Amino acid sequence: MALPPTTIVTLSLLLLLPILSSSIVEEAFSEELLLKPLPDRKILTHFHFQTEAPISDDSFARHHHLFPKSIAQLVKKFHIKAMELSFTQGRWNYERWGGFDPISSQNAKPPGVELWAVFDVPPHQVDAYWKNLTHSLSGLFCASINFLESSSSYSAPKWASQSALGSLRYGTLPREAVCTENLTPWLKLLPCRDKAGLSALMDRPSIYRSFYHSQRLHLTTSKAPADGLDSGIILEQTLTVVLQPNIQRAGISYPDEIKIQPSWSLSSIFGRKINGRCVLAKSSNVYLQFERGLVTQLENIQKNTVAYDSNDTGTEVLRRNLCFELSITPDRVHRELEKSSSLLYEYSIKGYNDTEQFDLGLIWKYPVVWSSPHAPLYASRFLTGSGNERGSIAISLKSTELTKDFIAANNVEEKCKLQVNVLQIVPWYIKVYYHTLQILVDEKPHAVTDFVEKMGVSPSEDKVSPGLMELVLRFPCEIKSAVLNIEFDKGFLHIDEYPPDANQGFDIPSAIISFPDFHAALQFLNNSISNSPMLSKLQEKSPVLSYTEVLLVPLTTPDFSMPYNVITITCTVFALYFGSLLNVLRRRVGEEERLLKNKDANKAAILRRILDKFWGRSSESTQPQQPSSSSSSSSSSSFINPKLFLKVLLVAGIAVIWQYYLK
Amino acid sequence: MAEISNSPPPEPKLTEQNSQTQITESFTSQFDSKTMRKTKPGVKRLIMTLTVVISFILGFPLLMKSIEIYRAPLPFDRIESFSSKIESSPLLFPCRFRAIFVGFNFRVSNNELEEVIRRKMIDLSPGDSRCGCDGDYSVSAVVDLEEVNAVEVGGKLRENNEEADELVKRLVNVYGEEKVYSVVVVNGEEEVKAVVGKYRHAWIVGKVSEEDAVFHVAEIFAKVFVNGRSEDGVIRNEFMPVGADGRIVLSFSLLNADPRDWIYDWDFSEIDETLLQPVIEALKPVADVTVESQVLYHTPKSSFSYWDDEHGSHIFSTQDLPFFVNSNEWHLDTSVAAGGRSKVLQLVVYIPSAKECPLQLELPNGEISKTNGFISPMWGGVVVWNPQSCIKDFESKGPVRHKISPQDLHKVFEVLMGQLRQLLGLKSDDIYVGESGTSILLGSERGFTEWELDALSRKHFCFNLLSCATTLGSLSRLVQSLPRMIIMDEIGKQVKFSLEAANSAQTNATIGIYDASAVSSRHSRSLAEDAFFHPSIMSISYYSFEHCFAIYSPFFLPVTMHILLAAVREWKRYKQENRKYLTWKAKAKTTP
Repeated sequence: MALPPTTIVTLSLLLLLPILSSSIVEEAFSEELLLKPLPDRKILTHFHFQTEAPISDDSFARHHHLFPKSIAQLVKKFHIKAMELSFTQGRWNYERWGGFDPISSQNAKPPGVELWAVFDVPPHQVDAYWKNLTHSLSGLFCASINFLESSSSYSAPKWASQSALGSLRYGTLPREAVCTENLTPWLKLLPCRDKAGLSALMDRPSIYRSFYHSQRLHLTTSKAPADGLDSGIILEQTLTVVLQPNIQRAGISYPDEIKIQPSWSLSSIFGRKINGRCVLAKSSNVYLQFERGLVTQLENIQKNTVAYDSNDTGTEVLRRNLCFELSITPDRVHRELEKSSSLLYEYSIKGYNDTEQFDLGLIWKYPVVWSSPHAPLYASRFLTGSGNERGSIAISLKSTELTKDFIAANNVEEKCKLQVNVLQIVPWYIKVYYHTLQILVDEKPHAVTDFVEKMGVSPSEDKVSPGLMELVLRFPCEIKSAVLNIEFDKGFLHIDEYPPDANQGFDIPSAIISFPDFHAALQFLNNSISNSPMLSKLQEKSPVLSYTEVLLVPLTTPDFSMPYNVITITCTVFALYFGSLLNVLRRRVGEEERLLKNKDANKAAILRRILDKFWGRSSESTQPQQPSSSSSSSSSSSFINPKLFLKVLLVAGIAVIWQYYLK
Repeated sequence: MAEISNSPPPEPKLTEQNSQTQITESFTSQFDSKTMRKTKPGVKRLIMTLTVVISFILGFPLLMKSIEIYRAPLPFDRIESFSSKIESSPLLFPCRFRAIFVGFNFRVSNNELEEVIRRKMIDLSPGDSRCGCDGDYSVSAVVDLEEVNAVEVGGKLRENNEEADELVKRLVNVYGEEKVYSVVVVNGEEEVKAVVGKYRHAWIVGKVSEEDAVFHVAEIFAKVFVNGRSEDGVIRNEFMPVGADGRIVLSFSLLNADPRDWIYDWDFSEIDETLLQPVIEALKPVADVTVESQVLYHTPKSSFSYWDDEHGSHIFSTQDLPFFVNSNEWHLDTSVAAGGRSKVLQLVVYIPSAKECPLQLELPNGEISKTNGFISPMWGGVVVWNPQSCIKDFESKGPVRHKISPQDLHKVFEVLMGQLRQLLGLKSDDIYVGESGTSILLGSERGFTEWELDALSRKHFCFNLLSCATTLGSLSRLVQSLPRMIIMDEIGKQVKFSLEAANSAQTNATIGIYDASAVSSRHSRSLAEDAFFHPSIMSISYYSFEHCFAIYSPFFLPVTMHILLAAVREWKRYKQENRKYLTWKAKAKTTP
């Protein structure tokens, strides 16, 4: 925990650590698949494809053998140093599926589209390049990534990485629907597409029926170890799917049955088998991973039932033991170096072909219960408050069992601190009051300065840029819970800015919570993984990272016909006023009175006349001067009737003319 | 209102009293208050209502002005005249020709000789050429150069075509300008041999009579140099696969139909340097060419082929060609780098899988195609390349990676270059058969000879101007048909510049400056396209009249009704009252 006093921490969403491996001299491709049973009876499948190309010679982006031409051209045209694009549907369940392993911290992504890119251009040009890039990508992947073009939808996190200061842009589209039209162009970047090799497993219905799937495209430049110059570009494509295997065993169900993990095979989860490798791949392997908790449980069971012979680690034992049975004997087994280690079974699919298909199966024989390793703090985010005016965002951090271990491990030191980085981006119409930031630790309010070590805020600007808050928090290790609370007012959008389904509400993108002191990496013997890009990726030290939920904020939505209603009513009022004013101006009061006097001496004649109109002739008997009154009333009514008639005619005429004008 | 209604009452009483006194005084018997009045009718209210009406009428233009939308003025009449000019009059370049006769003894003067050649050329040219050389050819003829020995030169010209080409070039350059198409005719004893060089000249050697020589010269001028050997002078719309921004992207793809059988790769960079760069250089005046390549796998063709014992190969026929290109599996892709409106030409090398190897194209006459490829106009070309041995190596696990040998690659690229020439509207055979005999056509290592490029740039120029005219024409029709569409200033500017560029292209063309006219014609076309595809045209496209009516009618309909009715009534009343007054006056005159 000896951290430098002013830690500018790399928010590890950017795995910008340049890969200092051997320099890339020619284009190469490799494909790998990782399978991992999850504690809640689901299974994680993680496809990993990697294509490399040297960048130094001038034929880059012009002549390619394996590397996709379109990506190379993007890299060259937009001077991309690093980029990541992910399409995700569903939410990674950090509680059940784990939050402290490389898969969850690198491949668990927020729902929708997430894109970040680092450009190798002067800072004032970065925005222009970003905008062009979003348009190109949206064309390439059949997605509305071009909505990230407007400056109110992306931002430039400052502390995300020191090396890419100012040239990094980050944006998300939480509501982007992900489907097979996004997967097909992604597959087109692979040399074998889904015609051969591991990608042939990707059965669209199974993938899109899954609980979580995330397709990701990651570009990094690798540096040559000798001179530190860019030597090549690495395109890493991963597809992470969490599936529920169908219960294979039919027939009588034992009471124990529900506790036993469901048995599965590749053909039962994908409906397909592997018909051999992609012939262009340098390596094509399938891995089956048993995580630490599971391995410990298995060992306990083994010990309890029979005298466990630790020396006997032959393949037969690995394949078939008391708890489970594998349908195919693994080619190699990797065991993690640490005490409580995870197991990795490796299968090479080089020898399989159409006649001899690869269909790995796992049959559970004994119920096992375990749990996945968790991130130090479990993060969730929610909204409080009601109404259409204001509310507040709360990020709650709860300790998990790992924190206790951490305390135990660090007890020797006097003051143990747990560093947490928070990156929160809010759209401009959520007007966040950053001064209202409150921190409750163990349900007691504390001064912000007690825990916040650094705080970077770039307030939102209406219709121009979103608000960005970066926090570096330092909690004591023994905390049980912490809640960050910040208030906001809901803004008003211009009528044109509402999306078609405005009543659904507006999304606040996921916050990113990272723990820079913790590194999720598996440690294997170095010689065993020399040529596997995925395993080297798993071994890479990357900080633990988790995304919070996307929030849905209902905003006041206007009645969209309102402007027209306002126009109509104002116009009508004006017309009424104008008309009556005109009538008053040209009124001859004296003459009218004289006329009235001539016709009827009675002062209430007008009222009478109106009443007459209403009740017709019923009042005739009451009138003393019948002939004149009846004649006047009839004349007045006959005078009004043609007028009315005229008006109707006029309107009809206008309508007819209008109709003809239209034609 | 209260004031108005309160103040007038005393007045009527006054008038009443007045009238009463008057009535009692003199005209008690004749006066009828219903048909007569003694005072002149007032005009106050009439004037007021008329003022309101008039101010409304005057205000109307102001309103229209205020709701007017911005439309940059477009020079409709200039567009109109430009396109009608392009439609009606052909676009012609002045071309100059020179015939050099060595070892001939003409009885006529040079001028007459020129006239004869000229008339022959006019006879041979295909009628009303819309584009190309000026029909009024300027021909000069030179007979018998003093310093040239007919026998010696004839012998040299016979030997090696390449050397002869250089020799003729030197010979012709004696006369200065290079832009003149020349034919050197050398009289000799041997068989006639006619060769068209790769510059702008040709030569005829051999025993040839004067008339034949003249006719042959005229034919080479008219058919080869003027038209670039294309049959018709008509410019088709799809003639030029050049993007609106004047660029062509040549996208080369190597398709491995099934990599499980074999994988072939190529060394494209080398080909790019040695073969393609000269071509790109040569095509500079016509288009800006960029090259890119990729290798794709798992790309079966989508048509069927059958085994033919006679040829010992799998055969696909010309009827299947429309289905050969498999757009589902061949993800050739447009180029991201190109962007804009560049034209991407796909040039594809297809390597069949083991079960369809060797694959040959059968021509409609039953023969096997020599090139084993085909083109699709405006899309590109496909060449099928069969590996040396079509037997799959079953021994080794996994496929073998091969590299196409440089010799094979050269052959394939020769075919592809031929396809490119065809896509650009040129022919690829090396012999021209005319009425007066055959001529050998020398190919250039750059892929395009100078006279071909001349013809190409003439056509390109015509095509650009034509498409510029049609684009501007449709833009002006569109703008005129939507009277309430917003037109940005930028569009107006682009249209203006496009017209200017087109004009300058035409003036340059009439002087004969090829390069400048090609550049400005390209410019005019791209500007016209820019104007037509300007994003603002598509955006909040137009503020319709219906919309305007719906907004203003709730106010103006009721108000105009009031005003008009008031005006009509006031006018009627005034007339009526005036009549009353007049009858009273008449009565008053008669009674006293």
